[in-house]
Amino acid sequence: MAELFISVLVISGIAAGLALLLVLSEKTFQNYGPCKIVINDKKELTVEGGKSLLASLKAEKIFLPSACGGRGTCGVCKCKVLDGAGPLLPTETPFLNPQEQKDNIRLSCQVKVKKGLSIEIPAALFDIRLYQARFAEATNLTYDTKRFRFQLVEPATMNFTAGHYVQIACPVYKKGIEEVSRAYSIASDPKDNRFIDLIVRRVPNGICTTWMFDYLKAGDAVELVGPYGEFRLSDTQSPMVFIAGGSGMAPFVSILHQMRNVGSTRKAEYFFGGNGVRDLYLHEQMAEFEKNLSAFKFVPVVCKPSPEDNWQGQTGLVTDAVRKNFTDLSGHEGYLCGSPGMIDASIKVLIGLGMSEKNIYYDKFS
Amino acid sequence: MKQSPQDKNLEAMLRSGKLAAGGFMGSDLRSSAEVISADAAALNALGYTAVQVAARMQELRDLARPWMGNWVQASAVLRVKSEDYKGFIVCPWPHAGRYEKRITTAERLDTGQSVSWTDLNIHLILEHGFFEGRDAFFRIDPEQFIKVVF
Repeated sequence: MAELFISVLVISGIAAGLALLLVLSEKTFQNYGPCKIVINDKKELTVEGGKSLLASLKAEKIFLPSACGGRGTCGVCKCKVLDGAGPLLPTETPFLNPQEQKDNIRLSCQVKVKKGLSIEIPAALFDIRLYQARFAEATNLTYDTKRFRFQLVEPATMNFTAGHYVQIACPVYKKGIEEVSRAYSIASDPKDNRFIDLIVRRVPNGICTTWMFDYLKAGDAVELVGPYGEFRLSDTQSPMVFIAGGSGMAPFVSILHQMRNVGSTRKAEYFFGGNGVRDLYLHEQMAEFEKNLSAFKFVPVVCKPSPEDNWQGQTGLVTDAVRKNFTDLSGHEGYLCGSPGMIDASIKVLIGLGMSEKNIYYDKFS
Repeated sequence: MKQSPQDKNLEAMLRSGKLAAGGFMGSDLRSSAEVISADAAALNALGYTAVQVAARMQELRDLARPWMGNWVQASAVLRVKSEDYKGFIVCPWPHAGRYEKRITTAERLDTGQSVSWTDLNIHLILEHGFFEGRDAFFRIDPEQFIKVVF
């Protein structure tokens, strides 16, 4: 019995010794010391080596977009690494097409900073900041869609352009969930920049929307990062066709606020599609925009209204309504936000009606 | 059976909420290999294969997609719809695989029974024979699925 006890003790001692050796060797051999990161050949940062490029940049308040919190599962945090990243890792290749691989695009969450790095990122990312905010209130828009309002705390305002999006950090709200970030278009007035409104549709069993719909309480502290994005109105005076469905409404609310703020007289027709009447929302706000914008028209479209809906508006797919309402869209610009399927179908219709592909701007859900 | 480190990582990933709230195993205490094997046996007894199930899922999804979330008749007794949600989800197995969040639902008009599946379900069934564990949110029960859509 004593022999058995001694054997267990000896084996445990050896295991503990090896673990200690491993920890010490990690600290010694993986201590990369200070490493220099050169950004766009202009800016230089000195960071402590050993962390991922994504985390190192974040620590220096440079926020590359990322949805999975750096676990290498979303493929969003791409950036060009000109030097110092080492060979491409198997964890990166699934997310990079051959051209991106040739162009030295890497997943910043997978690139470890071990020595000096030279990278290229869009200059606009220097304006991205982390905002501490408080959840103010949620408004039911439909049976599965809500508008969430956040009051910015620090910094207390965010300067964004209508069409921009923010990332919201979803914390660990129950066992087994890990922190993730999700991107949502801003749905608020750029002039009232103390608040950020997001329009969110519940994703069945979705990690972030479950938190937002079921766990988020008024007054809760929330982290937002942004503003990101390139979806925005052009500077031309070309007439516009907006097409959206579901939570794709969000950027257009912000865009219409912006148009009203500057007294825009630019012609815009907004086709918003729902499967039933219950999928439509913000009628009153759209009517208000129609009053305030002389050349704006809101066209809600219901695919299959039921008789009890007593629907008097346009019916069919939103793309059918666009086709019915126009014969020639050359000289127009198209702005689309919604599901990939809706956007692909809309692009086909717009091009078929003569719109130039370069005049079609979209924000796909995926 | 002894598990390799890769198997252990996979089991941990399937049970965690890293990729999907609640994970892919639900309350199932069996290993993923046992779940796969039991579902393969159930399918076999019903006279179908995972490939046939995945192909039918894909076919119905493709039929419904152009209708952007609206019901469309697949047959006299079956209607389907396919809805897109914001974002994407990745396969828990260690390989490339990122899927748009799309849920297809098929409903029998004669019995009122329905089944729903995601694009990731199609991949998991086709490539891994995995129908997800008991009580998992998107668990596909082979018998129920066959009863509704075939």
